[in-house]
Amino acid sequence: MHTFQVNWNPFDPADPGPCIKVIVANTDDTIEAGRAVGLEYPPAQVVTALIDTGSPFTIVSRVFARNRGLFLTNAAIPIRVIGGECRCDEYCGSVSFPDSNLPRIQTMRILAADFNREAFFSCLIGRDILKNWDIRFEGRAGRVSIKA
Amino acid sequence: MELATPLAMELRVFEEHRNEWSQTHPGKYVVIRGETVLETFFEEYADAFRAGLEKFGASRSFLVKQIWRDEPVYFIA
Repeated sequence: MHTFQVNWNPFDPADPGPCIKVIVANTDDTIEAGRAVGLEYPPAQVVTALIDTGSPFTIVSRVFARNRGLFLTNAAIPIRVIGGECRCDEYCGSVSFPDSNLPRIQTMRILAADFNREAFFSCLIGRDILKNWDIRFEGRAGRVSIKA
Repeated sequence: MELATPLAMELRVFEEHRNEWSQTHPGKYVVIRGETVLETFFEEYADAFRAGLEKFGASRSFLVKQIWRDEPVYFIA
């Protein structure tokens, strides 16, 4: 069992919520197959992700997905959000958690959308990852405990 | 001919088969590149992706799409 804790201030409306550092990258298989035909991939980049129980999927910013050279597997997927609808692209990738010992997710679909004017994070950790964890939100303590 | 929208050709091929596949393989994943469709349908996205990578390589994107008669629209809060 792997455990990890993150802090946030639920009493501060400006606090974005519980965040965790992640590395979103191509799968090992993709990199191996790509390098075999001469493709190059950027080094891993750590970004901040919001733990978001309101999202069924893990989502990265569209700019991030393109810059990291993620492998596109679907396009123009309709998504409803508060106040409207948007279109997402879908990539295949892996997700790891460099500041913790939480296990890496080797292969999963990752949506990409425009993160307009979002300063705190460039990734949402959705229920497709959260379903693998036991999570305890301790509001008064300002703490989230994760067991995986 | 190069199409402007990513995976536009693959999505067109999918739409041409949607009615048929939604009856024979509902909820499964299909893999398409260009007009080539993998013969196997998959239970899991990761398995479909790996099969596509093995068949087509990583030089160009391919479509991995779950089959529904009506496309679900998910809500994100």
